[in-house]
Amino acid sequence: VAVTAPPASRTVTLTIDGHELTVPEGTTIWDAAKEAGIEIPVLCHDERYDPVGVCRMCVVDVGARVYAAACVRPCEEGMEVKTETPEVEQRRATLTQLLLVDQPPTEDDPKETTTADNELLELARRYGLQREDGIPLAYGRGEDHSNPVISVNHDACILCDRCVRACDDIQGNDVIGRSGKGYAARIAFDLNDPMGESSCVTCGECVAACPTGALVNKPIRDVPIRPRSELDSVETVCPYCGVGCALTYHVDRERNAISFADGREQPGSHRRLCVKGRYGWDYAQSPQRLTTPLIRREESYPKGPLSSDVRGEGRGRRKPGGIVSYDEVLPHFREASWDEVLDLVAGRLTAIHGEHGPGSIAGFGSAKCSNEEAYLFQKLIRAGFGTNNVDHCTRLCHASSVAALFEGVGSGAVSTTYGDIVNSDVAILAGTNTTANHPVASSFFKQARRRGTTLIVVDPRREKIADHADIYCQIKPGTDVAFYNGVMHEVIRLDLVDREFITQRVTNYGELAKVVRQYPPERAAQICGIKADTIREVARLWGEAGAAIIFWGMGISQHTTGTDNARCLIALCSITGQVGRQGTGLHPLRGQNNVQGASDSGLIPMFYPDYQLVTLDEARERFETAWGRELDHERGLTVTEIMGSALKGGVRGMYMMGENPFLSDPNVNKVRKALATLEFLAVQDIFLTETAEFADVVLPASSYMEKEGTYTNTDRRVQIGRKVLDPPGEAREDWRIVCDVATRIGLPMEYDSPREIFDELVSLMPNYAGLSYDNLSAAGKLYPNPDPEHSDGTVVLFDEQFGTDDGKAHLVPAEWLPAKELPDEEFPFVLNTGRLLEHWHTGSMTRRSYALDTIAPDAHVYLNPDDAEAMGIAEGDYVRITSRRGSIELAAKLSFRDTPGTCFIPFHFREAAANVLTIDEIDPTGKIPEFKFCAVKVERAGPQEERSESAGVREGAG
Amino acid sequence: MAGPNGGGQQPAPGVEARAGRFPGPSLIPKLNAIQREHGWLPREELVKVSRDERRPLYEIEGLISFYPHFRTELPRKVELTVCQDLSCWLHGGEERLAELRARYGDDIEVEFHEVSCLGRCDIAPAVAVNERPAPAADTERLVEEARDGRVSAASARLSGERWANDPYEPDARDYRLLRAVLEGTPAGEEVVGRLKESGLRGMGGAGFPTGTKWELVAKQEARPKYAICNADESEPGTFKDRQIMAEQPHLVLEGMLIGMAVTGADEGWVFIRHEYGPEEEVLREEIERLRGLGVLDGTDLKIDVFVSPGGYILGEESALIECMEGHRGEPRNKPPFPGVYGLWGKPTLMNSVETFAHVPVIVERGAEWWKAQGVRDGTGLKFFAVSGHVERADVYCVPMGTTTRELIELAGGVSGGAELLAFQPGGASSNFLGPDDLDVPLDFGPLQEAGSMLGSGALTVIAEGTDLLAAGTNVLRFFRNESCGKCVPCRVGSHKAHEMLTEAVATGNGPADLEDRLTELEATLRLTSICGLGQVALGPVMSVIGMERGGTEARPHPRPARPPDNASGS
Repeated sequence: VAVTAPPASRTVTLTIDGHELTVPEGTTIWDAAKEAGIEIPVLCHDERYDPVGVCRMCVVDVGARVYAAACVRPCEEGMEVKTETPEVEQRRATLTQLLLVDQPPTEDDPKETTTADNELLELARRYGLQREDGIPLAYGRGEDHSNPVISVNHDACILCDRCVRACDDIQGNDVIGRSGKGYAARIAFDLNDPMGESSCVTCGECVAACPTGALVNKPIRDVPIRPRSELDSVETVCPYCGVGCALTYHVDRERNAISFADGREQPGSHRRLCVKGRYGWDYAQSPQRLTTPLIRREESYPKGPLSSDVRGEGRGRRKPGGIVSYDEVLPHFREASWDEVLDLVAGRLTAIHGEHGPGSIAGFGSAKCSNEEAYLFQKLIRAGFGTNNVDHCTRLCHASSVAALFEGVGSGAVSTTYGDIVNSDVAILAGTNTTANHPVASSFFKQARRRGTTLIVVDPRREKIADHADIYCQIKPGTDVAFYNGVMHEVIRLDLVDREFITQRVTNYGELAKVVRQYPPERAAQICGIKADTIREVARLWGEAGAAIIFWGMGISQHTTGTDNARCLIALCSITGQVGRQGTGLHPLRGQNNVQGASDSGLIPMFYPDYQLVTLDEARERFETAWGRELDHERGLTVTEIMGSALKGGVRGMYMMGENPFLSDPNVNKVRKALATLEFLAVQDIFLTETAEFADVVLPASSYMEKEGTYTNTDRRVQIGRKVLDPPGEAREDWRIVCDVATRIGLPMEYDSPREIFDELVSLMPNYAGLSYDNLSAAGKLYPNPDPEHSDGTVVLFDEQFGTDDGKAHLVPAEWLPAKELPDEEFPFVLNTGRLLEHWHTGSMTRRSYALDTIAPDAHVYLNPDDAEAMGIAEGDYVRITSRRGSIELAAKLSFRDTPGTCFIPFHFREAAANVLTIDEIDPTGKIPEFKFCAVKVERAGPQEERSESAGVREGAG
Repeated sequence: MAGPNGGGQQPAPGVEARAGRFPGPSLIPKLNAIQREHGWLPREELVKVSRDERRPLYEIEGLISFYPHFRTELPRKVELTVCQDLSCWLHGGEERLAELRARYGDDIEVEFHEVSCLGRCDIAPAVAVNERPAPAADTERLVEEARDGRVSAASARLSGERWANDPYEPDARDYRLLRAVLEGTPAGEEVVGRLKESGLRGMGGAGFPTGTKWELVAKQEARPKYAICNADESEPGTFKDRQIMAEQPHLVLEGMLIGMAVTGADEGWVFIRHEYGPEEEVLREEIERLRGLGVLDGTDLKIDVFVSPGGYILGEESALIECMEGHRGEPRNKPPFPGVYGLWGKPTLMNSVETFAHVPVIVERGAEWWKAQGVRDGTGLKFFAVSGHVERADVYCVPMGTTTRELIELAGGVSGGAELLAFQPGGASSNFLGPDDLDVPLDFGPLQEAGSMLGSGALTVIAEGTDLLAAGTNVLRFFRNESCGKCVPCRVGSHKAHEMLTEAVATGNGPADLEDRLTELEATLRLTSICGLGQVALGPVMSVIGMERGGTEARPHPRPARPPDNASGS
């Protein structure tokens, strides 16, 4: 048997059980034996992890004084290996016996009684061993049930260190290690703390790694965990973030419920999942799902918010985990048939359209719906109502990045995948709380850093990823432009620019150089608060790197200078030639599972599908031909503009598919007025959202789990989401509802399946050319993909030219501008908003997930401990946060991750909605609101009895 | 911050996964600093270290729960530690322990615990009060002193005798041999040649030829290289290195520095066990003196002392390296060996105290002189720590090839003129031999043929009237206690075997019914454990099994000799 050696590497020749093999030098005996078809038993070894050789089950006889652990021992020239002599097998049986006597009885074994794949017990059966055979038993080393979804049983632990490697080497979470010594050694979390109180982020990688019953999943919603073979497996994709991890749901068909989830192999996730993906899927099984179409009762007009919370006058603090009060809201609606509601939606929208013209209609689609649904929704608004007033939450996340990217490189998508970081010498992570928002992508970053990539983190908040940085730049909020201009100044001064690249592939370098000349590191330092020497070091590292890459998130985009921020990143990559090659480029980490795909599919007011400009005659004509309707010549209104327009009587009728702007948009008090002003609002969702309280009609839709469709992740990977469960009650797939509305307004949409819609979409989107349900396969495909039958797709874009008209990168210099609302005497703090690992946006999914809501049930404001001390605020104290737009009360968390003078509030919690406070100033180009910066004041909310009982949304202070 | 072994380095073949060994500089100095300041390790301080150094909490937990030196509770006024490993046990350690426990166990000012061998077998049974070693008879006085906060520091015991391996007059320790090597006369190859010719082998236990090891390290291309003097002898009965450091610190340092000059190592450390405070003091003074002499001026050679945070396992060379890198002291899978892939993954020359101490005289007087020092085919000189049932427990420097009978005579004979029952010729990990073997030369080959080994150079003598099975079980207990727990056979096997044997000793029944099972466990531990500790843990007790216990008939059963481990570098 010959194992193919990589070219030019040295080989060694040995015999294993009489087979002669030639293998590359460094190959382990275990790997070589496997190639030869010889399976050596293991417990601590798993090919996903580097070997440690601690269980000794894989020992083999190499003719030495002692045996060698095959998993870790490299093959040597002339070695004669015997893997299965009676002596070796006897030793393995003894090792198995030694472990077996300390195990829980099989009938109580946490693994054997659930998934029934305990690898130690399999070995015990192979060797015919019984637990009780004379060696003293030991039992009672403790259990730990403090984590809501993972059980720890120390008796079942064999100290194989798989969980340790899974936690560190795979996920980079660094929580599990060994505690104690000798026979008393056991696995421990942090300082030997209960798992549920440790820094564990419940990604479940340790559970996936554990060969025994030491770390197992607990059942969620009482759905028992059973052997995989007894359950139905559905290979699909995680519904949460833009990383789009591949996973398999194991479905209990009798209960129409998911039992548990496993990660699945895919180039961008390698079987990894985070807490949301592995444990957060049960929202679909919530009893609060909408199951019947609803029509607002006549007595519930005039319209306005229906719950005291949403009115902002709440009596009585909502209990943690607060979601819309069904008791309060549902009585205002009556159940109706699908025919009745669909007629009503079509009739009212048509009537408004007829009376006030196309501009009076607007639609919000959702980045949580599929490409097919996004495509149909924008087609409905554009072809059905003749307006481009269609948008979705991309406006709230990367609109500015996309604007800058289009202007600069002619494409809004990433220039390379996040996994490409493995080829980078230097990576900058700018304004991205990646461990919370793209946890699995962050695991690639952490791994790359451990393999030698220099990680530079730039963020005013010391997010967890900063703990992994080689250089961490804690810039002052809203000073990104100054920082990057300072870096570019130094790159140019040191002549670390790529002259050839600039000459051949870049325009406007002269103007850029002129502007950044005004930002020597000392001046940049004054603005951004980073030492000039650090700016110089970053510049040198970046400029001297063979391959350098930038990842960024909302910290760059959600500013009134968001487009300028992104322009700086584009310029930095362009002047150093760090784009268009392996390990280089621009990667805005996309938030929602399908924000890339929804944008690709045209769910934005200025673009048809595939970013074809609505104002370009040629493009318009192409779509007019395809859809058979005359289309709007002007670009439509964006999310924030639509709310403004509604207040002024412009937009009067709206159709919302899966969006909840009440909580997600800035300045809630303004949104409340706008929504109440609408003449007609149809809300299509899976739960009663805050926005639905303003609806005339509520359409019960399918969750992600209940339909088929494609989703495009942040890497441009198009994957098929498969139907996992049946929709509850009369709930229907979103695409079918859109089709029915369209047909009723005179735009016939007759599709039999998402596959058919996908084919139409692909025919109009050159970048998706060639893709089909048949060739997307289990792991999906990257676009563009010239050969989807055989290739995973294009990783690196712009290797020869950019997507702009002239194929060059267009540099746009930016001057630093301060944020719109700076702190002053009355409002001395800078408020930053963002997300938590456990929660998703407005919480309508995650707060209905047992795991996620249990781990993070409460809203908090994060305050620097020094500030808190100065104000007499202790951990857990209630504080009142007030901006010029409103005020909320919530508990304080003291956090060294926030600098003095700043505070941070996650925006998921309606009972303390951060967006009551945020400012609705927008970036002039990207139209994105400044979620990351507004001025607030922080006060102690007083003792419990004196405090206003309302923790919710209250009328503005100014 | 990437540590010296941080990301980017392609591991050599066979290097195991880091599995919890977090990259970055060692946190042990930081933890030591906290303990110095507070007397223990308060949780808030640990959390602060984790945050400031951006290192995971689990890493800190792994260290503080592994190394006995670290305290996670507020210490009491008096810390009384008591040894009852073999030499102390033979001197009534068990009874003494019970007495002291009865006396101080409930004393709120006294923290009382049993520890592994303190390396003071010559004053057995030994205790330590606030880290000051002493014979158990002094316990009461020292405890009272400690209560008043005035326990005096011990100083190293010096005999003043000039041993035969010392080429220097007491007042002329001028490092002339190191100077000569630094000047290139003799050249490095010449030094290696003399060592190879002399037949000097590692005196730490494995007996690897010293010249060959130096040659191997010298020819490694990777830079930098390091040198470590392994002064972590911690095996019951073993204290010869302690005495060599006390009396010949100049030879230890000179030997190591010559090794550094010859192999190209710039930085070197003496890794000394925590319990050797007095000897550490001697070494540090000698390093100061050496610096004062200016011998190292103009060279890149740097040497220092690294104090072990505790644990016998650190004497295993790769565990020692793991400890110095700031990890749990768990032995690595080998190969690669430290000479190729050692500290921070760099070539590392590691020899024991005695090995280094023999180097200067060989460099000066040559291989022939050295070889001529041995008797009965033995080569050179050998230090032995003699303890147990002898009149004058101490360290002796004798010709290699001296017999046990001669050595016991040198030590004044078996205590009280009693008959010899059994002895361990090479420390706790060597198999027991009986009166028939008294004339076996104490040398690598002959002892191996007799079914035991030269081991750590510690002769432990057991007189008639001792329960030999209990003695063997006591030895196993030490290994069980000191197992790092990394691999299954040693972690679980040593514990289960000890449980079974303890039962057998307590019930007084011979372990005949357990013999098969113990034989199988012994084979499993010997063949499958990662390091020497597990490989030998059951050997000594197995060597006494099957014999009548404690009677004059008792003779250990030597097992058939095993071939030497040529691959081992330790």
